[in-house]
Amino acid sequence: MRNQIEFEVSGKYALFTDPLTKIGGEKFSYQVPTYQALKGIVESIYWKPTIIWYIHEVRIMNVIQTESKGIRPIEYNGGNTLAYYTYLKDVKYRVRAYFDFNPHREDLVYDRNENKHHNIAKRSVQAGGRRDIFLGTRECQGYVEPCDFNEGKGFYDEVPEVDFGHMVHGISYPDETGRPERETRLWPVKMERGIIRFIRPEACELTRKTGEGVAKIFGSENMESVDQLHEELFAEGEKA
Amino acid sequence: MSWLANLSKTYDNHTDAIGNFEKKRNGREYALIPISHTTQSAHIEVILNGKGEFLRAKVIEKEEGSTIIPCTEAAASRTSAPVPYPLFDKLMYVAGDYEQYVGEVKKHTPHANYLEQLRTWCTSAYSNRKVESVYQYLQKGTLIADLVEYKVLWTDMQGKLLDKWVQEEGDESKEKPAIFKVIASDQSSAFVRFAVQIPGDTEPRLWRDREVQQSFIDFYNEQLAETDLCYVTGEQLPYADKHASRIRNSGDKTKLISANDSSGFTFRGRFRTSRDAASVSYEVSQKAHNALKWLIDRQSFTLDGKVFLVWGTDRLEVPDPAEDLFDYLKEEEDDSSAGDMAHREHALEVRKALSGFRYDGEYKSNVVIMTLDAATPGRLSIVYYRDMNRELFMNQLQHWHETCFWRHRYRKNENDKYVAFTGAPATKDIAFAAYGSRASDKVVKGLLERMLPCIVDGRPIPIDIVRSAISRASNPVGMEPWEWEKTLSIACALVNKTKEKEGFRVSLNKQLDDRNYLFGRMLAIADVLERRALGREEKRATNAVRYMNAFAQRPGRTWSIIQSNLQPYQARMGTDARYYNGLLDEVGSMLKPEDFTDAPLSGLYLLGFYSQRHDLYTKKDKGDTTQGQDSEQDNDQDDTEE
Repeated sequence: MRNQIEFEVSGKYALFTDPLTKIGGEKFSYQVPTYQALKGIVESIYWKPTIIWYIHEVRIMNVIQTESKGIRPIEYNGGNTLAYYTYLKDVKYRVRAYFDFNPHREDLVYDRNENKHHNIAKRSVQAGGRRDIFLGTRECQGYVEPCDFNEGKGFYDEVPEVDFGHMVHGISYPDETGRPERETRLWPVKMERGIIRFIRPEACELTRKTGEGVAKIFGSENMESVDQLHEELFAEGEKA
Repeated sequence: MSWLANLSKTYDNHTDAIGNFEKKRNGREYALIPISHTTQSAHIEVILNGKGEFLRAKVIEKEEGSTIIPCTEAAASRTSAPVPYPLFDKLMYVAGDYEQYVGEVKKHTPHANYLEQLRTWCTSAYSNRKVESVYQYLQKGTLIADLVEYKVLWTDMQGKLLDKWVQEEGDESKEKPAIFKVIASDQSSAFVRFAVQIPGDTEPRLWRDREVQQSFIDFYNEQLAETDLCYVTGEQLPYADKHASRIRNSGDKTKLISANDSSGFTFRGRFRTSRDAASVSYEVSQKAHNALKWLIDRQSFTLDGKVFLVWGTDRLEVPDPAEDLFDYLKEEEDDSSAGDMAHREHALEVRKALSGFRYDGEYKSNVVIMTLDAATPGRLSIVYYRDMNRELFMNQLQHWHETCFWRHRYRKNENDKYVAFTGAPATKDIAFAAYGSRASDKVVKGLLERMLPCIVDGRPIPIDIVRSAISRASNPVGMEPWEWEKTLSIACALVNKTKEKEGFRVSLNKQLDDRNYLFGRMLAIADVLERRALGREEKRATNAVRYMNAFAQRPGRTWSIIQSNLQPYQARMGTDARYYNGLLDEVGSMLKPEDFTDAPLSGLYLLGFYSQRHDLYTKKDKGDTTQGQDSEQDNDQDDTEE
């Protein structure tokens, strides 16, 4: 596929919180990552407002296992609380993702250089990503490596089909939809021979509005140019 | 599939079990409850006729009190503010003459609310003839008066309900009325259920009548107007505002799904209300929670509040991974040389034992393993969840029982006699072997959860558990003999599992020249020799056993102590000791000189010890003829009381 990258992401633990258990506070992970979680990982590898990442497919390499830990979440009003969080244990995923240009960012039209972004993205995968990688939540550190999607032996390679029922696909934000609202998308998840093939966000039929907002506008009022910053940092006469 | 979807699927697969009461081992009844219903213990049963006239009433025995009652969402989570159940409820709600007999109810009007709710049901399209009779009768408002007249409830001099029964002095003839035996607080909190007798109708008990139940389900379903996208089914369905509590037991207030974020930050930030964050349909929530409660009552194991549950979504019965297969495996004959069973034969036994749980065409069938626990009193958490193909599950279980095995002698058969069996120990027994029989429930439940992945996923057993069992098995002086034997054989099973690739067996491996194994064998020979020299009456521990702990740490030095202590016994036995001395020499000569050091022994020495000892006690026909009066059974299990 055009503008595609392939990588493997692995970690000791992962927590793709099932929203039903999140609202009470005893977080319990979904069995497999959501589209949005993988999108977040790809955006940590490389992202610019010019582009939108799409996840094509994910291959579940390791057997799906859970392990719980006793957690002391932060009580914002003081005091103590305890919870059991249930994590996925020893996860390894192979991901195929590709990018398109964000049609809602007219101001960045000049930056729409496919080859440039694709090459940066590929180099970023080689480097293990530009930012920290998380598997669902902040405490689950993940590690990215370049890989061949089809290589290696996965635990579910021989399993014809596993049905995960309905899961959250992701959340649509105004900067990518152009609509002034936030929508949660659901979709029925099926894993075939270890591979989940995602549908595009706009193909999700099950959506519900879960808030409103608008895309933030960036301009000279709320951004500082590099030259200006340089002037400030290095007073006259000093050459950096 | 997600846990909620699996549970609600289990409910759908077992609709024929809805409302059928079964008895638990402790005599308590349980059932798969229909949706929009819950259970309560009733105290009083009122029998009416079809015209809504009072026929009779009785006090219900405690064991029969379990009653399926219709229930609205609001009533299910009622607290101090009175919200009536739709049909059966406490006197305060159902009796129109409650104030007359008990006292004024402040602020609220429970009876009026109750009647109004019942009226809506009776005037709806889903009304039921028998429910109408109840409505007709309760409108009269004479329930307590009727019950007092029928001598179910009792009043005092002022005509109020008695708070508690006081035996009159000198009047022993009057027995305590039944109502005071079944109710913990005073009479006014009695829970009432109704039966309506109509000629030609076979089921007068409204709480067992499927038609009445269905009529309420349909009626209530219509009341639920607000729909939302269900996160489990993906359909637009009536939305569940509140979810079930009392999941683990009737006194349990914890919920699996709850939402309370007025102060912390569980979902706020991105979402304003819990509804924004997630929504579940009423039907799925009801089905899943009712199925879960039923499964927990039916086939779970609970320890210190932690619930261990394994079930099949299509066929409920699944072998429990935490149990040994003793009840299915063939017991060994006590004095034969079984126990040398070849590995292939053992594998065959396991396969046979598990075959009862295998079915054809289980390709699509799944097994769910779920463990629940609560960190705080309000919320229940799923601490372990595994949804796996049944075939795969059975294969993993089979592998576990085929590899983590040893010969055990701590289980009793139906004649209450200890018998030997070869197999994997139950997880609970592993916990006691690793942490001692006085280990607290908190520690044990942690181990049970940690062992689950070892069994169902074939992960290695956590090394601390194995080590702990080895070091306890190396310290026989600290335990009763029976407990040590049990710990020893379980430690052997664990060691055997960690050395899975080498494929050790209970029967002695005479070729193996591993240092640990040989040291273990020597210790066993010393033990058997001394035991024999001591004779049957002498129960004290042998030097070998007493020094076992030190031996495991510093085998070289300790062996010379054991050997010098052995000399008097060798002398006492005279020529009878010849076989043992020869054996000692033989094993000793296999030990390479550079291996005869003080480096601590690995757990493998326990296998050498056990196998050699077992070999000496069972192979009576071989070797010299002077031995054979003693057997293992005599010295390890005589003083066995747990």
